[in-house]
Amino acid sequence: MDIVYVVSVVVVLVGMLAVLKRVISGPTLLDRLLGVNVIGTKTIVLLALIGFLADRPGFFLDIALAYALINFIATIAVLRHFEARFRGRASAVTEEEPS
Amino acid sequence: MRTESVVVRYLALRAAPFIQLYALYVLGHGEDGPGGGFQGGVIFSASFVLLALAHGWPFGRQQVNEKVADILAPTGALIFAGIGVLTMLAGGAFLEYGAFAKAGAEDPEAARLAAQHIGLIGIEAGVMITVAASMAILFFEMSRPPRESKGNDA
Repeated sequence: MDIVYVVSVVVVLVGMLAVLKRVISGPTLLDRLLGVNVIGTKTIVLLALIGFLADRPGFFLDIALAYALINFIATIAVLRHFEARFRGRASAVTEEEPS
Repeated sequence: MRTESVVVRYLALRAAPFIQLYALYVLGHGEDGPGGGFQGGVIFSASFVLLALAHGWPFGRQQVNEKVADILAPTGALIFAGIGVLTMLAGGAFLEYGAFAKAGAEDPEAARLAAQHIGLIGIEAGVMITVAASMAILFFEMSRPPRESKGNDA
């Protein structure tokens, strides 16, 4: 059964690389934020898979839960930080990020 | 200033109690899993950070009574040190929980292990109280809105 977990880990890692490309190239701030958030979500899955690979799922699922909470709070914190930048714009998604 | 997003506000309000419950879970599983007092305390105070982010600084501040937090921070350290002194009074070394075990127990080894569990959970609870209160104090003092005067907050 280990081969299933190894393949799953590789697939998740490839998915993270694809999202990382979006985080690096942008083009807008919200694209990057969403990318970082997706990477965080994939990290939770990765932690669960590593837990099953290491035969200690309970141990790693605790870490994954805490990671999910911190990921959620961090995303809201970063969005609150940039809230003023989005305010008053028709669409922050389509506009270029000011340098 | 709270967020305009009703989703974030509702979710923060509903998620905060579960975050605090998870903090207690992390505290309880500090012996045989990742976690313990420090991590549990940090997760506990993270719920207040989330509330302050979603509902504004004054709302978050209201959840943590300033005086209670100021008292709880040293109380946790007192619990830690107090358990250490109690073990010394019971005849052991500082923080030697085995000294709590009943002398006339039929299985001394099991009694010693049980005493160690109780002592460990006790000091972890003390650490958690200190860390949670200190983190909340640190966050709310550092993020205090500049226009608010010092004696004006509830």
